[in-house]
Amino acid sequence: MEEILERLAHCVEFGKINLASPYPPDMRGQDGADELTKKALEMGVPPTEVLNKGLVIGMGKVGVKFRENKVFVPQVLMSAKAMSFGMAHLKPFFNDGSVVRKGKIIIGTVEGDLHDIGKNLVSMMVEGSGWEVIDLGTDVKAEKFVESVKANPGAVVCLSALLTTTMVNMEKIGKAVKEAVPGTIVAIGGAPVTKDFSNKIGMDIYSADPQGLIDILGKLN
Amino acid sequence: MTKKVVFQNLCKGITSPERTIFRPILMHFIARYAGGNYAKFASDHRFLVEANLRALDDFDIDMVGLISDPYRETSAFGARIEFIPEGVPRCLDLVIKNEDDIRNLKRPDVYKCERTLDRILGAELLAKRTHDNVPVIGWIEGPLAEACDLAGIEQFMMMLMMDPGTANLLLDKCMLTAKDFAKAQVEAGCDVIGMGDAICSQIDPVTYDVFVKERHREIISFIHACGAKVKMHICGDITHLLPSLKDLGIDILDIDWQIDPRHAYEVMGPDVIRCGNIDPRFVMDKSPEEIYSTCKLLCDNEKGRKFILSAGCEIIVTTPHENLMAMRKASL
Repeated sequence: MEEILERLAHCVEFGKINLASPYPPDMRGQDGADELTKKALEMGVPPTEVLNKGLVIGMGKVGVKFRENKVFVPQVLMSAKAMSFGMAHLKPFFNDGSVVRKGKIIIGTVEGDLHDIGKNLVSMMVEGSGWEVIDLGTDVKAEKFVESVKANPGAVVCLSALLTTTMVNMEKIGKAVKEAVPGTIVAIGGAPVTKDFSNKIGMDIYSADPQGLIDILGKLN
Repeated sequence: MTKKVVFQNLCKGITSPERTIFRPILMHFIARYAGGNYAKFASDHRFLVEANLRALDDFDIDMVGLISDPYRETSAFGARIEFIPEGVPRCLDLVIKNEDDIRNLKRPDVYKCERTLDRILGAELLAKRTHDNVPVIGWIEGPLAEACDLAGIEQFMMMLMMDPGTANLLLDKCMLTAKDFAKAQVEAGCDVIGMGDAICSQIDPVTYDVFVKERHREIISFIHACGAKVKMHICGDITHLLPSLKDLGIDILDIDWQIDPRHAYEVMGPDVIRCGNIDPRFVMDKSPEEIYSTCKLLCDNEKGRKFILSAGCEIIVTTPHENLMAMRKASL
């Protein structure tokens, strides 16, 4: 049982999606996260262990390597894809409550900003760490965040911006969310965003990279 | 001595003890400064030229330029572009949705497509209005950035990993159009062609070397053969790519604020002009005095080396005018 979970984690870490996937070249012809997740469940490994001792472990290693500039966006995307193929097999267990997520985040790129690569990387990696992610997309107005927070009480709101011109909208959105649902935790991130800026506009969490956010979210539980 | 001669001297390694060339990336900032908006700046070369000339007069910049947004070539390839009054133009659809779209992608005629022609006309007008006294910087999208513009960043990044043959086909088509567009701008009067390949900062050195490096080299050699210099602009931290970039023949390398200029000098060597690298947020937020002293220190540190003072990336639209003036003063 431990062996298949280790192999599953390895597939996620190195972006091996399934048997047919030619990537990475040195794993060509081997099972990927898709097949190994299915096999693990068929072997009777509890779904929670498949998630936490397989998929999440692999994605966690990717997050650390990304933070340390040991892997870059293409490799992270491949890992996230592998993760998503594994997660598809776990969906019924999430739906029936036999696997419980660590929590929920609502994420979006702020109004005026159409960039989604940073937001998507955070979404994939946070999801890969065991959280449910509600992705509102790009160019998201305050009203939409507020509506989503009301529908998902207790969710952490994550605001992304790539442009200095749009990061100013984080303050407006963050305040609107906190006014509408007091106590909501708001996290911000993105290339131009800094800890100083986060403090200045009264946000709760700032992280320079996805793994940093995952670490902070982990401490909330 | 004209600004063009000062630049030509810098290229030859003759640095001026009196002044460091000052060339910030100016788009939205000068659009608003000149009384218009970003949509007008990106869609009408006459206004783009007027805005550059205002910056030349009022901020004493040493080079003018045609940089506006990433979607000139994307539009020529067939994408619909929406102009936003106070924002970067938006690309409304992905031209490449599958492998067939790549095979069927036609080489656009840059003289017949509205947005590429607009920039070519801008090059002609800028060269004419500056009377051959000021270096004019044209602009092209690098092959990786263009491929991502056409296919989507995530989709193309995964294609690099999963289907390198098809990815190479698209990169080749993007490279060809980059060369066409560069040649047209050089013939219209540009002294320098800027190549923006922003997304390169997000890939690892091996992926860069395998997919991008030789295409960059080919474009750079081609532009040199056309008679212009090359300014490479990759947003973000490219410290990991510097060893790959050092032998490409780049004339000017933009270095963003995350990069140590001394380290860039050590890796790139004395022949490459480095352009940077004040944090644009610093230029926006700090006092003119703080900006002056920081820029002065940087210019002093670079005395005798090939260096252009700029912010690491675009000057932010809300930057106080006096802050940009403080940069200029520090470079004198």
